[in-house]
Amino acid sequence: MRILIAEDDPVSRSILENLLGKWGYEVTTTLDGAAAWSVLQEPDAPSLAILDVMMPSVDGLEICRRLRRTPSSISPYIILLTGKHGVREIVKGIEAGADDYLTKPYDFDELRVRVQVGVRIVELQTNLAERVSELEIALSHVKQLQGILPICSYCKKIRNDRDYWQNVESYVTDHSQAEFSHGICPACYETTVKPQLELILQSPSVASTSAIEPCV
Amino acid sequence: MLFEQTTNNENRETNPLPFAPPVEITSDAIDLETLNAFDGLQADDGSDLVVELIDLYLQDGSERIEAIKLAVAKADGKSLKVAAHTLKGSSSSLGACHVAEISATLEQVDPVECPHRVDVLVELLSYEFARVKKVFGVERQRRLA
Repeated sequence: MRILIAEDDPVSRSILENLLGKWGYEVTTTLDGAAAWSVLQEPDAPSLAILDVMMPSVDGLEICRRLRRTPSSISPYIILLTGKHGVREIVKGIEAGADDYLTKPYDFDELRVRVQVGVRIVELQTNLAERVSELEIALSHVKQLQGILPICSYCKKIRNDRDYWQNVESYVTDHSQAEFSHGICPACYETTVKPQLELILQSPSVASTSAIEPCV
Repeated sequence: MLFEQTTNNENRETNPLPFAPPVEITSDAIDLETLNAFDGLQADDGSDLVVELIDLYLQDGSERIEAIKLAVAKADGKSLKVAAHTLKGSSSSLGACHVAEISATLEQVDPVECPHRVDVLVELLSYEFARVKKVFGVERQRRLA
């Protein structure tokens, strides 16, 4: 997983790069808030970001607010990492839209497990988004066969969205995942097929009968 | 705490640091345990991460202290806060506790309202940073030897 670090202090930045690299993450680093915001706007943006609160140009809190205002199916998991201590600062960070908050100096193991929580949440979000997408596609198929369909009383063709009268079989096939196999029901066999067969059999040119059995 | 005794005497018309202490190499300038925690992060290429961090800290720290002095001279509270905040973060990360403490206090002080207190703190900061520099210098040599 790729993780974004936004940190203007070179010492803290280097420590984070080394820690995350050692834990097997791919790291993208920015030196200020504007660059971090730009990276987070890319199509393949990192799904987890560790942001310093106080940075040049755009601070970490503002990045959180902007991200939460932006409609997106998957929004990045944000950990604010800062020297600002105190409950009020933590509340401010979480209210701005951060998912987690760590103060400097931090314990390496604490950061590691908090990053792991973030990775777990991101993976859950991704799986959930994929399932929602699959369900939306399935639902769109179901919806297409709902509502009132105009059907011809005689030939049973259905008028489709393009005002074209379509055979009921092809209409259902186009608007669902159903397919048709063809046969003859007993009633139709008696009323339609059997009389025609008898007519054929009565014809002198036919030497033998065909064995057509009805579908049961 | 070192700086509290001085900052409590805001109204006294004294020099920032009348005692002009010598810069000594003492173990309390940094918390070596914090520094040693980075040993577990050493790279495979043979380079010493602690030495790299010390170099980064000393270079950036000097620049931040210059920025703090400039901000104080211009009575620019915002720039003072930003520079002090960053120095506080890097200092606490490497165990330079006193520099981190003084920076944390500087971050909260308005240079317009409390110019004398700010002057004292900046002097103390320079002094503590010089001590840290000495200790880090020794540690750097030890690691490179």
